[in-house]
Amino acid sequence: MSHHSYDGSTYPIREGLRGAHRDYWLALARPGTWFTGAQRIAIAAEVRNALACDFCRERKTALSPYALQGEHRSDTALPAQITDAVHRVITDQSRITQTYISQNAAQGFSEEKYVELVGIAVTVLSIDEFNRGLGLPLESLPEPVAGEPSGYRPAQASAGTGFVAMVPVNGANGAEADLWQNGKTANVLRALSLVPNAVREWMAVGREQYLSPRGMAQFRDIPGRSLNRMQMELVAGRVSSINECFY
Amino acid sequence: MLSLSADITESDVDLRMVNGDETALAGDIRHGLVLMKFAEAVASRNEETLSHARQQLLQEAGAEVLVDAAAVAANFQRMVRIADSTGIPLDALSAAVSVGVRKELNLERFASAQNTPKGGVKQKLLSLIARPMALRMFNKMSE
Repeated sequence: MSHHSYDGSTYPIREGLRGAHRDYWLALARPGTWFTGAQRIAIAAEVRNALACDFCRERKTALSPYALQGEHRSDTALPAQITDAVHRVITDQSRITQTYISQNAAQGFSEEKYVELVGIAVTVLSIDEFNRGLGLPLESLPEPVAGEPSGYRPAQASAGTGFVAMVPVNGANGAEADLWQNGKTANVLRALSLVPNAVREWMAVGREQYLSPRGMAQFRDIPGRSLNRMQMELVAGRVSSINECFY
Repeated sequence: MLSLSADITESDVDLRMVNGDETALAGDIRHGLVLMKFAEAVASRNEETLSHARQQLLQEAGAEVLVDAAAVAANFQRMVRIADSTGIPLDALSAAVSVGVRKELNLERFASAQNTPKGGVKQKLLSLIARPMALRMFNKMSE
């Protein structure tokens, strides 16, 4: 079965979007860097659970995310810490702290795993949100591909910018040479670079949903798009404002 | 980015529309009101409002615009979560370029502003050079 064919839709969905979403679903099913394919798909399932989670809704209004005890809506076999992290990234991300990530790491939920989890959660969310925006049903999750995670960690990754280690601005070389060019990038591109494939995967989707890094420098009409740059930025800005995005 | 885009295309844009101010929509953004309402509806997650906003955008701007607007909105549902979940600060150059915009839109009120150190005098001085430089550079690249 081919995912993201959008055959049931009457909307003119660009092939670029279909392809990016389809490719991501294929990548989601394969063994990742720190999680198996089955675990990656379980994380995707928790993204959907989080959006309907009563405990998350209640916790979001609490003075502190630690003020309430309760159980997440969940139908996967993921460990509680991992389920909680997915739900927090989706429903209460602005109250995630360095301490939260460090304490999880001390209990075996490493920052490498956390970064891969964030990459999966946000990319699945953005694909689901596209469907929801158009009033289309969510795509069924793929079947996992067997195999073991690679365990790859870029040697040049270091702490110091945010809550997790990242490839430094001048560190996109060797196996990471494709992440950004000429030693120039933005922190949001570096954010998940502890797991380079997480960057590659969300960038491939972002390139079609929004713009490529090269396209970011294009401020007039964008080839192949029906929105000009100002229209795109109005939508981007309004969504970001409601999400209380300082970045 | 909206501010830079408006400056580069010499368009009349009132940035307060980003905060949902409908009185700020009189400028040069085509289909501004329906795009703004659609973006709001996606981010607010109210399905009834979203259904209405979708129909309005479809009727006024057409299906291709609706698809591209859904794609951009979906993308920015992700970006805030990447930034906040990893605690990244605003890059030094972006911070310098956006001093005025952040003040105008009162972005410091957001919890995630705490991940970016306060700029101070040095950043304000840098902003005087950075924004005109960025405009020149992007203008050239957009030609």
